[in-house]
Order: sequence, then structure tokens, then C-alpha cells
Amino acid sequence: MFRASLRSFLAHKGRMLLSALAVLLSVAFVAGSLIFSDTVNRTFDRLFASTAADVTVSPKTAFSEDNRFTSGEVPTLPASLLNRVKAVDGISDARIDITVQNATVVNAKGQQVGPTTGAPTIATNWSVWPRSPVKLTSGHAPRGDGQALIDADTANRKHLRIGDALRVIAQPGTFPVRVVGIAAFTTTNPGAALLFLDTPTSQARLVGRTGVATSIDADAVPGLSDAALERRIVAALGPGYNYKTQGEQAKSDAASLATFLGVIKYVMLGFAGIAVLVGVFLIVNTFSMLIAQRTRELGLLRALGAERRQVRRSVLLEALLLGLVGSTLGLAAGVVLAAGLIRLMGLFGMNISAAEMVLRWPTPVAAYAVGVVVTLVAAYLPARRAARVSPMAALSDVEVAGTGRSLRARAVGGAVVTLLAAGALTGAAASSDASDAASLLGLGILLSLIAGVVVGPLLVRPVIRVLGGALPRIFGPVGRISQRNALRNPRRTGATASALMIGLALVTGMSVAGMSMSSSFDHQIDKALGSDFVVQGANFTPFGKEISDTVRKVPGTSDVVPLRYAPVLVTLPSGSTAKLTGAAIGAGADHVVNLQYMAGNTARTLALGRISIADSYAAEHRLRIGSRVPALFANGRRAVFTVGALTTGNGSLFSDNAALLMGLSTAERYLPGSQDAALYVNAAPGTDPKALRASLEKALKPYPQVAVRDQADYKALVRGQISVLLNLVYGLLGLAIVIAVLGVVNTLALSVVERTREIGLLRAIGLSRFQLRRMIRLESVVIAVFGAVLGLGLGLVWGLAAHEVLALKGMKALAIPWTTVVAVLAGSVVVGLVAALLPALRASRMNVLAAIAHE
Amino acid sequence: MSTPVDAAAWPQATAARAQGLSKTYGTGETHVVALDAVDVEIGRGRFTAVMGPSGSGKSTLMHCLAGLDSVTAGRVWVGETELTRLAERALTRLRRDKVGFMFQAFNLLPTLTAEENITLPMDIAGRKPDQEWLDRVIDTLGLRDRLKHRPSQLSGGQQQRVACARALASRPELIFADEPTGNLDSRAGAEVLRFLRDAVDELEQTVVMVTHDPGAAAYADLVLFLNDGRIVDEIHGPTAEAVLERMRLLSGGSPQAPGLDGLRKS
Repeated sequence: MFRASLRSFLAHKGRMLLSALAVLLSVAFVAGSLIFSDTVNRTFDRLFASTAADVTVSPKTAFSEDNRFTSGEVPTLPASLLNRVKAVDGISDARIDITVQNATVVNAKGQQVGPTTGAPTIATNWSVWPRSPVKLTSGHAPRGDGQALIDADTANRKHLRIGDALRVIAQPGTFPVRVVGIAAFTTTNPGAALLFLDTPTSQARLVGRTGVATSIDADAVPGLSDAALERRIVAALGPGYNYKTQGEQAKSDAASLATFLGVIKYVMLGFAGIAVLVGVFLIVNTFSMLIAQRTRELGLLRALGAERRQVRRSVLLEALLLGLVGSTLGLAAGVVLAAGLIRLMGLFGMNISAAEMVLRWPTPVAAYAVGVVVTLVAAYLPARRAARVSPMAALSDVEVAGTGRSLRARAVGGAVVTLLAAGALTGAAASSDASDAASLLGLGILLSLIAGVVVGPLLVRPVIRVLGGALPRIFGPVGRISQRNALRNPRRTGATASALMIGLALVTGMSVAGMSMSSSFDHQIDKALGSDFVVQGANFTPFGKEISDTVRKVPGTSDVVPLRYAPVLVTLPSGSTAKLTGAAIGAGADHVVNLQYMAGNTARTLALGRISIADSYAAEHRLRIGSRVPALFANGRRAVFTVGALTTGNGSLFSDNAALLMGLSTAERYLPGSQDAALYVNAAPGTDPKALRASLEKALKPYPQVAVRDQADYKALVRGQISVLLNLVYGLLGLAIVIAVLGVVNTLALSVVERTREIGLLRAIGLSRFQLRRMIRLESVVIAVFGAVLGLGLGLVWGLAAHEVLALKGMKALAIPWTTVVAVLAGSVVVGLVAALLPALRASRMNVLAAIAHE
Repeated sequence: MSTPVDAAAWPQATAARAQGLSKTYGTGETHVVALDAVDVEIGRGRFTAVMGPSGSGKSTLMHCLAGLDSVTAGRVWVGETELTRLAERALTRLRRDKVGFMFQAFNLLPTLTAEENITLPMDIAGRKPDQEWLDRVIDTLGLRDRLKHRPSQLSGGQQQRVACARALASRPELIFADEPTGNLDSRAGAEVLRFLRDAVDELEQTVVMVTHDPGAAAYADLVLFLNDGRIVDEIHGPTAEAVLERMRLLSGGSPQAPGLDGLRKS
């Protein structure tokens, strides 16, 4: 039997081609993402291990602030600790480290030198020790105020040379420096720009205080373990600080990077998952059709005495071969994909050598597991069907296409899953708890996807009767034959369309959710933002006092109200704690933002020690006006807030859905080093806002890290951020659609083979080549549009349910992206036409006589 | 396409004809001569049967006359049109408008009803069928109550009658039937042959039938015998016995039993 399987596999290799391609794509994404993340992880593990000292002593913080909403306060410890560290027995070297990420470096033309997307600009003190990850390649070390080193990658990117003048906009103020040397990484540059100053300059200019450090780094003498040294230092300094060994420090550095790399990894695995899902349909269809075509052959095998088990096994063996071939090619494609990703990262400044690509053993194991298991699972049902072929099939002359089999079991199963899915989605829409709703939504999406796949073939007849109803009228008999052909085998048409359905349902669902979010933000901005202008950095990054002062000095303003972020860990009445993004607003808030209150007012919100929170959050956590809320700031300070007001939650525009707002005075009291993250500016009566904008922009020209935005700009900014996310998702789903198109091509190609005699007959009685091609094209379009209609239907249901869930988070607007809907429908016609190209060509080239005589 | 001379020479009496028609396949060792300079005329309004042992070239002759296959040498006319000069597209049109086909099996599109199958060539051409003629054909073949059935709901004999009706429906110059009874039992086969006979006698159609079965050939007005790619004999007004006798002479022994033919072909 093995030989028979092998022969059969080789004989049908052309027909297996598209299935192999589907396996290849899925495996390529699995392997590619694993290789990529392994490579990046090893590179960074090495970097972090090399940059971290044996033991690092840093200021104690209560928690680490989010990168996105940070107060801007830089935690420090006294530099004098260095002497106490040095006195510890077993220290080979110790040094103070002053590193900040809140400085902006600007060249002579006023352009930012550091990266503007993602990676930070790091300003730090220059110190040399044996394992330093950077070394001086030209010039000399910085000596005194006004001298700086720049890293080689940044220098190359921005064409900086020794002697160039730069401006550094730091928290305490702006200061000029001259480049006196270039330092290069001995390992991989993670993409950041580095600026080195000498230690006293760093203290004075970056932190604004002499005698402080952001950490103290100590190395052990040879033979002494990091942990042992840590214990000795802890004993000397006491528990008032954070201590980390090299391993711990590297791990925590890696953790902060992991969120970013994790996103890439999960996006890639998402690609893989969708590719696998869609590929399954393609494989199921291929095997079903191959078996339908070989019914007689299988009947003969059975007649000659092959057992059912043997027939089933022989089909599964073919699937195994397909899986192995697809996985092997997929693994190779995965390596190429990983190399491409690494190069792509290089464009963003992260220089990882593709030559150091890591292929650990789990990668091929996962690749083969995915490829082979998926193929076997997909081929299992067709294999069982093959085993059921009766020996009589060898003798009968009837067309066996599996059209007549009852769909009743499917109808019952489909109805059950559909009901469950409807239940879950309704539950998600009706739920008032956001996390419950989200998990119900996830369950509902999964169940309704299964329901769509199960019910798809049942919908073929009614839907295609309607969709294709116009075909006979428009295209005459050719249209009629196409429509009937699409209806001929509902299972096959359903499975082919399902593949397309999945991708399009996700696109539609995501775009409903995205558009709704976008329009909710628009509403929130309209409702909550009352100022003429907002001065803000990219990504809500806080900026120095200097910028706020500059804005205040611009003539023609009536209000300049700052906003800061004050992340806090609050203790709720239930005893549990929650990390909230508090927002602190300056006096005059009512002139620039429109907060809507259920109880209380702005004055009660901004009073020292008072807060306001969203009414819904208060209800959920049993908080009332006058409730006392213990809070912990990142710097370790504690406060007990009193709830002074309850808002409708529209203040969530400025923080998270708890909408915790406080007065600027409260933030300054507990977070004295916090920085403004936004300034809301109103034009004075009689001042033309346009003129004010021009003068604001002129005044802020030296500070390229902030921009002046009016409401329209602000909306565009938010919309842009959402559309970047959507574009990523669309890109992801493009792959699913490509595979679905392969599926349509596959089905049509195999159908053409299956209907060879029919095509021969049609040609004999006078169907022209053009008409034949049109017949196949129309069938393809009908299948594609059917898939699109199912996908759109499912996607809109998902979108509506997701919108109900988003509404719980304050995003109440609903926007249906009709242009996307129309584009998807039009696109599906194009998909159908493209998919039919090759099969139609092949059919029209058939020799009429050979086709008629075809068995 | 046709010259006035051609048209004048064979005005009405001939539905199709071939002149020096040759067809060869392959080269060298696999070189096969299927037709060897055949001259033949198919009389209009007559029922012609083509017989011969396996490999005698009878199917090839039919395919070449019907414009399904290209010829190696010689000329072929259907009505006044010379097929051998036509391009693919015009040839397709000719098959659609001037020729009716019946094959041994798989004559009908499974997705279409009997009626849709019957009118298919005219539908493809975008022409309205002549309803009066269509009714006559349908009634002659006794298909009136089967029109809405799909092929899978019809017996083998009924399917062949539908195929026959389709071949007749557009009033073609001539109808080619390739072993139309090959897959049928003797009763259903006889029925189909009687309808072909009726098509000639009552509907004034021209039928060319390729067959193995002397009994089937006996329904024809004229039987042409092929051997090794040449027409070697003919019988006017044949009987089954006469045909059987002639076949025996041709093959130099006993002819194949008609009952076995069906199996060999399937």
C-alpha cells in the first residue's frame, strides 16, 4: 500500500501543489516568527548581559510607571553612596550611573537627532570599565560642560561629525554641546541614540542636581558570585534601595523589550494561525476532490481485497507526504522570512546581523508538527470517506460527487453551534463587566466562526440562488450553467467560500471596531476638549518646564493649563489594588476641558488631596463622594485621596477608563519631579487663533519634540494611530485572503479536471472558448461573492458585538465602514476573476475529443 | 468559405462530403494511418451507418466530418461550408449551428434539466428555438412529461432520447451519432434507433451513425464499411444478416458479438 500511496502522491503532485503552498505558508510563518524572536532574544540577552554590572543599586520605586503615561519624574539616589559601595569587601570596580531618557537632542538645523519612533534617546554619563558595551572610536572622552560623545550609528544616520554643535533639551533646561568623539557599540545597537556627557555635567544638566545618581553599578572581584556581592552590599546599605544582580538586571531590561518583541511574535503567530486555519479548508477540499475523482480506483482496490483501514491509511499516508514536503519547504521559507524581518528591523535602527540567525531545535519541531498535524487533521475526514467507498463503485458508471448526501447532521450541528455563538455574542453585548464581556466576545467570535464554517454549505443553495439569480438573465445559458455548477456541490462551494469568509469576517469586524473607536474618540474630543490648541509631544511624552514657560510667554493667550500624568496604585474598598493612570490638571481646567459631572464640580476635583473618578468605575468599586482612597505613587510616597466629584467618564480622554483626575497641586506635592505632558491653550479675547497658532509655532521652533494642534489636528492624530493599527491587521489578513484565493483556484482547477467530459461535450456542441472561460469565471465570482457575503455578515455581527463591549469602556459611537463593505464586495468579484484565470485558460485549451473520451 | 462551384456541384443532395480525407497520428514506429484518402458523400435526408472493425477509422471519419478533429490531408464540407478552411472559432460556430451530436454516454449536462439540455446549443448561440419544431421533436421522441427532469432522474434510454432531441432541436445539416446505443440494453437501444429512423423519415433530417452492431446498422438506408482507413464496401437497404455476413468477410472470421461491444467501450 505504501507504494500505491507514493505513486498516487506523485501522480497527483500537480493537484497537490496549491495544498502544499498552503502548508508552506503556514509553516513559514510559524518558523519565521520563532527564528526571528529567538535571534532577537539572543542578541538582546547578550547586549543586556554585557551592559549590566554585576550588581546594580537603584532608587527604590513602588512600581514601574507605564512607558506611555509617565509622570516624567526621574528617581535618583545620592552619589555619595558610591563610597559606601566601594568600601564593601569584594568590589573590583564601582561607578555612578546617570541615565535619562527624557532628553531631546537637536542638531543645528533644529531637527531631532534621536529616533522619533519607538526607540529612545538615552543621555548618560561616560564611564569606561572593562565590559563596557561601547568604546571610543574617534575623538576623546567628554571633559566638562559643553562636550559630548555620540554613538556611531546615530552619527552615521544623521551625518554628525566631531566638532558639530548640538542642543540638548533636558528636564532642567536646554544646553549646548559640541561633539568631541564618536563611540561605537561592541555588540548590537538596540536602535537607541546615545549621548554621553561627563559625570558632573550629567548630574547638573540632565537631572538638575549635583551629587545624585540614577544608579550605582558595582563589579565583583574574580571568584565572587554576583549574588554573594549583592548580599554584602545589601548588608552595607540597608533595605532602602533596589538591588539587582547582572542576571536580574538583564532579565528586567529584557522584560521591557519583551512587550515590543512580544507584539511582533504574536502578530507573526497570528499570521501563522490564520494561514493554518484557511489552509485547512484548502487541504480538505483537495483531498475530498481527489478522492471523489478516484472513487472507481478506490472501489477497485476494495474489490481486490483492500481493507477499509488500508484505504484510509493510504490516503493519510499521502497527506503525511504532503505535510512533510510542505513543512520542509515552509521551514526554508521561514528562514528567508526571518532574514527579511531582521533586515526590516534594521530599517528602524535595530542592527541585528542576519548571519547570527538562531535556529533552535524547537523551531523545526514546531514547523513539522504544525505542517504534518494540520495536513493529517485536514485529510482525516476525506480519508474516512475514501474508506467508505464500496467495492461496487469500481463497476458503476454513475457520477459520484457526493452531492446527494444528507446535510441533516450538519444542519443540526450548525444550528446548535449557531445558537451557542448567538448566546455568547448576546451575552457579550449585554454584559456590564468589561472583562466578562471581552471573554464572552472572544468565545462568541470563535463559536460563530465554527458556526459559519459548519453552516456555510447549507447556505450555498439559498444564497447562491439569490446571488446568482441574475446570472442566467444577464449571461444567458453560460450564466445558468455557472450558477448551477456553483450549486452543484454545496459542501465544496461552502468550504471554498469559508476560507474567504474567515479573512473577510476579520477584516470587517476589525474595521467596524476600529471605525467605532475612531468616531468615539472624535466625539470625546468634541465633548471634552474645549481649548483652542493643545501643545503636546509624540506619544504623550512629558516635556521640561522650559517648554511650558515658553508657551506662557507667548502673547495673546488667555489660558495655559498643563496636564500631567500621575500613575498611582490605589487601594479599593474591597482591599484589592489597581494601577490607574491619574491625570493632574492645572487651575483653569474649566476653560480648556469640558468635564461633565454626575456629582461635584471641577473645584472639588482640583482641591489638594481630592480626586474625581468616573461614575461607572465608582459604582463598580463601591466608591462614593467622600470615600477615602489610599494611593501609592511610583516614587514610594503615599497619599489618602478623598473622592470629591464623580464624572460621566468623559475625562477618560485624558487617562484611562477610571478617569482619575486630580489637581496639579496634588501631583506636585506627591510627585515633585513630574513634568507637563500637555498644555491646553486658549486665545485671549480679540486674538485671532490663527495668529496665535503662528506665534506658538514660532516660539516652539527650538523644541521639535512638541507640536501645536487644534481639535482637528488632534482628531487626525488619534485617527492616525488607530488606522496604523488597522493597517497592520489588514496586512495580516491579506495573507488569509491570498490563501483563500489559492483555495478558489484549487477548487476550480480540480473541478475543471473533474468536469473534463462535460467541458468536452459543451465544446462539441458549440460552446466557444470565450464562453467556456466566461462560464468558469462566473462560477468563480459566484463562489467568491458568496464567501464575501458570509464574511461581511459574520464580520458585521462581530463588529456590533465588539462595539457593545467597547461601549463599556466609554467608546459609545458606532460607525459601520460602508466603504470597506462595498470595497470587500467589489474586491471579491476581482478575487473571483483572478482565481479563475488559470483554471479557465486550462479548460479552454482542452482538446475536445480527448475531453469527451476522458475517464 | 465555399466557392460557387462547390455549391453548384453539390447543391441539395449532399449533407456532407470528404475528398481525399487522410488522418495520421504519430511518427516513426508509432505512425498510425487512421484514414487513408477517403472520399465519401453523405446523402441529405438519409440515414447512413458507418461500420468496421475496431481501429478501422470509423470514429475518426465521423470526428473529421463533424469538425471535431483536424485532418492531415484532404477537404471536408458540411453543407456548403468547407470545414478544412475554417479557424477554430468558426468551426465551433459550425458545430453549434449546423451539426447535432449524440455520443455513446455522457451526453447531457447533469446540472441542467432535460429541456435546458435540449435547447442548449441554441441558448449558447443566443437564438430562440423554433417552438413549433421543438414541440414536434419532443413529441416525436415522447419526452413531453420528462422535460423538467434532471439527467440523473432519467433512465439510460431516456437520456439518449434527450440527447437525440438536442441534436435535432436546431435542425442541423446533419446529426452525428457515435455508438448511440452502446451503453443501452437491446430494448432501449431499439427505441433510440427507431427515433433516429423517424427523425429521417418524418422530420427529414440527415443522420450519420457509427456503430459496431449489425442490428443497429440495419436501421440505416446505407451502410458504409471501413477497414484500415478506407471505405471498402457499402450496402443499400441493409438487413442485419447481410451486414453481419459482410462484417464476417471483412474481419476474416467471426465478428465480435454485439453484446461484448458495450463492455469493451466502457
